[in-house]
Amino acid sequence: MDWNEVIGPAAAVTLAGAGLQSAMPIAVAAVGECVAERSGVLNLGLEGMMLSGAFTSFLATYHTGSPVVGVLAGIGVGILLGAVMAFLSVTLKTEQIINGIAIVLFAQGITAFLFDDLFKGSQRPTIERLPDIKIPVLGSIDRVDSIVNQNWLFWISLAISIGVWLMLERTRFGLTIRAVGESPQAADSVAVDVARIRWFALLVCGAMAGLGGAVLVVGQLNLFDTNVTAGRGWIAIALVIFGRWKPPIILAGAFLFGFADALQFRVQAVSGGINSSVPYEFFQALPYLVTLIVMVTATIWARRDAQPAALGIPFRKGVGS
Amino acid sequence: MRRDLRAVALGLAVAACALIAYGCGNSDNGGGGGGGSTTAANTAAASSSGGGKVKTAIVLPCPRSDPWCAQGFAAAQQLASEGVIQLKVVDGAPQDNAGVAQVLGQLAQGGQQLILAHSTWQDPALETGKKFPKADLAFAGTGTTSENVATYDEPIYEPAYLAGMIAGGITKSNVIGGTAGQDVPLCHAELVAFEKGAKRTNPKIKMLSTYIGDWNDVAKGKSAATAQMDQKADVLISCGGAPANGMAQAIKGTKVSGFGYVGDMSAQAPENMAGSIIYNLYPYFKAMATDVKDGKYSPGKTYKFGLADDGVSLKQNPQFSAAKIPESISSEVEKVQQQIKDGSFKVPYVAGS
Repeated sequence: MDWNEVIGPAAAVTLAGAGLQSAMPIAVAAVGECVAERSGVLNLGLEGMMLSGAFTSFLATYHTGSPVVGVLAGIGVGILLGAVMAFLSVTLKTEQIINGIAIVLFAQGITAFLFDDLFKGSQRPTIERLPDIKIPVLGSIDRVDSIVNQNWLFWISLAISIGVWLMLERTRFGLTIRAVGESPQAADSVAVDVARIRWFALLVCGAMAGLGGAVLVVGQLNLFDTNVTAGRGWIAIALVIFGRWKPPIILAGAFLFGFADALQFRVQAVSGGINSSVPYEFFQALPYLVTLIVMVTATIWARRDAQPAALGIPFRKGVGS
Repeated sequence: MRRDLRAVALGLAVAACALIAYGCGNSDNGGGGGGGSTTAANTAAASSSGGGKVKTAIVLPCPRSDPWCAQGFAAAQQLASEGVIQLKVVDGAPQDNAGVAQVLGQLAQGGQQLILAHSTWQDPALETGKKFPKADLAFAGTGTTSENVATYDEPIYEPAYLAGMIAGGITKSNVIGGTAGQDVPLCHAELVAFEKGAKRTNPKIKMLSTYIGDWNDVAKGKSAATAQMDQKADVLISCGGAPANGMAQAIKGTKVSGFGYVGDMSAQAPENMAGSIIYNLYPYFKAMATDVKDGKYSPGKTYKFGLADDGVSLKQNPQFSAAKIPESISSEVEKVQQQIKDGSFKVPYVAGS
């Protein structure tokens, strides 16, 4: 098998471009999830929020012809589900894991139902592809252009992810969010409204999950299928743990996963597919294997437990920590 | 505060019930209409009353938008509108054997005469057949049959061979590619036939094949097709709903051509789709329903309607520039198609390693 065709200089560049594309929806959702978990709420409904965002953004773009409206609609629905999660977990203080799973099941059911009902399944509806933005110097270099010439949605989501990271790690407000996740009692004692902070965090998380779904459908696939997110929400949640609740590492992890995912198809194609001696199932497991190995290694090396101390525990005023 | 929360919880419960009632109450009763809830069983009765019609249920492993399930559903609907069967549809059925067996068992118990398990569900079908000897079942994909369980073939490899011949003629890079969900006999045979057909018209071609591991992940399908295009493949085929849709999105707007899977996918990429492989289940289901009606179902047979019997075909896309396909290739494809139809040429069937 010719490895040069897979990771040689020319191939590596197209691989990088494909990897970035594959990683972006997961990266956006993972950073959003990080915000929620840093505030102390374990949001397992991420997959449902991504899927609903994907469906709504597709529907809106299909009917209005405007991808901007579509993306905003997707973000809106993500915020809505984030509000549902916040109401259940923060206001009603019910078990967060169950709420999250309920949201996922609800979203999977309702998007499948509405998609089948509204489009009647006959000819697959599609939306227009977003044009790539040409970057001045780098974008003209032959192979490099596949990495840097992405559409505007890619750049905006990258910018938002970095913005949220900076908000969380470098601003006073981000410090408040983190404090609420580490010790809500202490935060409460200095007149921080814990419930309101967690609500905000969940709305941000929902918005970013919806954006992730919109990036997948409007920015890349240009169509919708039932369960189009195919577990990316769960991968995003795993990446938050992998990234030790720090957005830069989470972003790096998402891109690592994306590259491995793009790599496995190239390896399959070059190795001869059905005629290769290595079972193709091994290649399919590759991205998850890579992520698992890196996560285990990182955990063994780390000295502190990075998990927010109050993660998953509903806050009750007046109850000792 | 407590009272308010209880009121809110009650309100939510009422809203949930209303939503469920809306979803269930919305099911259509016309034979030709669509809609209705996708997870609950949907009864679509033809307008006239029962007499002489075979009570049939079709179990689909995917939503009706998936091409595989869409074809099965379309064929069954056609029979229902002709008054041959009285149809009940279950879509989005669970994929595990135990879950499917439960669904089949419930249908058999509910008095269905013919149950079409539209996937490779051999074990659940045989198991249910044993428990309910009065019902007749059928599953897709050849395998063991029994007294009351038949199976139906998926000779998709036959039109795939013809598609391969066209591919060999139109490829400029001499590299072609195929993606599939998993390495099941259906897909393996399809990709091998595609390769052999291409080699017939162009001995220099190289075939790439990729398995994406998921029948439903369109993004992966697109990624796999793009990877093959990066390896210079310029004619693609696929096996499975998500691989096919992903491939169509990947080739749209490029110079790469492709072939659709199981239904007419030309509209997805009109300039790029050279044609689609059509899997027509109407003759299959009609033969089965007629056998049930005439009492000739047992022992369960393997129903096969190949290219010759219009069970499968290659539908070419008139919008795909005819100038792209050389005249010599077109006439050779016509010739071979005729040979398959009259039986003088048998497309090689290679089911797997």
